[in-house]
Amino acid sequence: MVRAVSAGETAATTYAWAIQADGLRVRAGRRMAVDGLDLSMDTGVHGLLGPNGAGKTTLVRSIATVLRPAGGTLTVLGEKVNGRIDLRGLRRQIGYLPQEFGYYRRFTVREFVEYIAWLKEMPAADTPGAVQRAIDRVGLADRADDRMKTLSGGMVRRAGIAQALVNDPRILLLDEPTAGLDPEQRLQFRALLRELGTDTCVLVSTHLVEDVAAACTDVVLIDVGRLVFQGVPADLAAAAGDEAGAGDSAAERGYSAILRRHREAASARETES
Amino acid sequence: MGAVTSMDEENLVRRIADGDRGAFDELYRRTSPWLAVRLRRRCADVEIVAEVMQETYLAVWRAAAAFAGASVGGSAVGWVWTIAARRLVDALRRRAREAQLPLAALPALAAPAAEDEVLDAVLGDAMGTALRRLSPDLRQVLQAMVLDGLTVRETAVLLGVPEGTVKTRARRARIALREALS
Amino acid sequence: MKIATLIRLRRRIRPATSDHVTAAVLERYATGGAGIRADALWAVEAHLEWCASCRERLGEAVARRSPETMSLLALVQAKLATEVARSPRMRVRRLPRRVSRWTPPGLWPRLAMTLLVLAAAVGLDLADNSRLLPSLVLLVAPVAPLLGVAGVWSAGIDPAHELVVASPRAGLYMVLRRTLAVLVVVIPTLAVAGWLAGASPARWLLPCLAFTGGALALGELIGLRWAAGALALAWTAGVITPSVLAARTPLLLEPASLPYWAGLIAVIAVALVLRRDAYTGLRSETWFVR
Repeated sequence: MVRAVSAGETAATTYAWAIQADGLRVRAGRRMAVDGLDLSMDTGVHGLLGPNGAGKTTLVRSIATVLRPAGGTLTVLGEKVNGRIDLRGLRRQIGYLPQEFGYYRRFTVREFVEYIAWLKEMPAADTPGAVQRAIDRVGLADRADDRMKTLSGGMVRRAGIAQALVNDPRILLLDEPTAGLDPEQRLQFRALLRELGTDTCVLVSTHLVEDVAAACTDVVLIDVGRLVFQGVPADLAAAAGDEAGAGDSAAERGYSAILRRHREAASARETES
Repeated sequence: MGAVTSMDEENLVRRIADGDRGAFDELYRRTSPWLAVRLRRRCADVEIVAEVMQETYLAVWRAAAAFAGASVGGSAVGWVWTIAARRLVDALRRRAREAQLPLAALPALAAPAAEDEVLDAVLGDAMGTALRRLSPDLRQVLQAMVLDGLTVRETAVLLGVPEGTVKTRARRARIALREALS
Repeated sequence: MKIATLIRLRRRIRPATSDHVTAAVLERYATGGAGIRADALWAVEAHLEWCASCRERLGEAVARRSPETMSLLALVQAKLATEVARSPRMRVRRLPRRVSRWTPPGLWPRLAMTLLVLAAAVGLDLADNSRLLPSLVLLVAPVAPLLGVAGVWSAGIDPAHELVVASPRAGLYMVLRRTLAVLVVVIPTLAVAGWLAGASPARWLLPCLAFTGGALALGELIGLRWAAGALALAWTAGVITPSVLAARTPLLLEPASLPYWAGLIAVIAVALVLRRDAYTGLRSETWFVR
């Protein structure tokens, strides 16, 4: 369909990284969950790894512009995320699947994704096509008109990914997206991630090291709110070296090796000071 | 209940929303040649075109009720194209990642034959001349964004070039057209 | 793209009878468009999106000239036949879901509770023939909407709250829409209850609106759920209980206080607008903010 192209669309991008954090500090409850994090991410699939309580969910929520940073800077698509900017334009380009994905049980998948499309202020004309496209991309086309309470856990998760995708966002934030997916669904999900990574900045926060190793172009490991490691999955696996550490795969061994070394170094620094 | 052959496409979509297979087949009969030709001019790989067409019409079957109910006032055929263009972009993204192959090459842009005076009648004014004078890669970007209705990111996937390049070419195309028209 | 440019392009799209695509061009287009000049090609494609008769003629040209496309079409049709046969169609259920733009699904139980409370207040008032107690409807009116308002922007009531808060549409306007839905339920009920109990409308309307606005404004500081709860508690402990115990209508609800209520509403409205970013924007996750 013929459309007008605005000058804003074709203006050159003025930022280097889609997501950039400098000394970011974010509070969760009474604790500083993210404490001095430096991170740069652009197009591609970034796997966010870390033990429980490392601050992964807090980081994802602050990029999703739900939480206010308590210190440092967070720049998303060139906009500094603080209390003063106009968040609407930025949020229209973000897709977010929270860790605790809440939905309306009596809505069908299509109705729910349409509701989210309305929340994202998508033009009414585009909504039906975009909703169908999102549902097709996650493979829920057969169940699109079934109520969400009739879906299995993995399908609910996929519906959650669909609502995150509906506005074809530039930044996609997925917090534990593979929870409840069976192995076949996880394979399909990895294929979807690879497809998305070609032109979107995807951040996948997960416990499953294997998912990260298989589908991600970049691995980010954080612990106690700080960046521990960022690199390609091959480097993660190589980090184990020859040690026979904890883990069934090279990636898992690398993960535990890096974590262990980081904690040893941190406690050594503490005993010194 | 009239014969489907005499309805316009918007009414056909409404009938499809009610589950009328005859209306669906009629819509396919009327629009598939146009869609196939148009898609083939954007993607040289016939397999991808077949896949995209299948997905498009399946989406039309499934989501016809949403279109009919939206009462947006747009054309049904335009809506079909919107679906097809986006599905094409998705298919190209899948190919780009899956096999690490170069994206399906666009068909070569043929130079017009010198003796095509008969075709002059269509666009004889400054706009047509300006469009003609644009270099092919600038025109490709304009076609993808203005005629096909794709966003900058989608155009980048379709043409297999970085987003920055798409934006630069769009800006240059606009400047060139403005100069030619002034 | 300048508007003028686009208009020039679109002018070609309206199919006047003399503007249809010629047969020669269609034949060439059907086989890939070789030999057609760029601007003609653009015009043809724009035109075909609107003109059914030219599409029909294009179909015939394709059948004549392009066997590859014909086999493509046949292949797709065959695949479609099986897929469509087993694929469910969408069932339309538009209207009820539109309501959820005004009232999140989790709010309905609270609205029902509010109605029950009001009905109980009316019942007690009507039963109280000897006017022993002050009008319960008047006493309850300010806090009647708070039960609903507490659920308007709360993670406990709205399962999708995290997604709502992170969305572009989040903001004071959306909170007001949802609050309006609560008021639409509460105010007519209060009107009926007030009429039955014989109280003049302004005496319950102004306090009701003041408390609703006050909850929203206070909610900008401490979260809407806590704000509504705090106000309800304060009113119940500070006004309702003493009034019932002393069997006396409180001063605050006398007609003389009405101008003060009106002034309070104005102040609250200004405060709401001044700090409206609290509902749009980023939250600091402290222990009492939800």
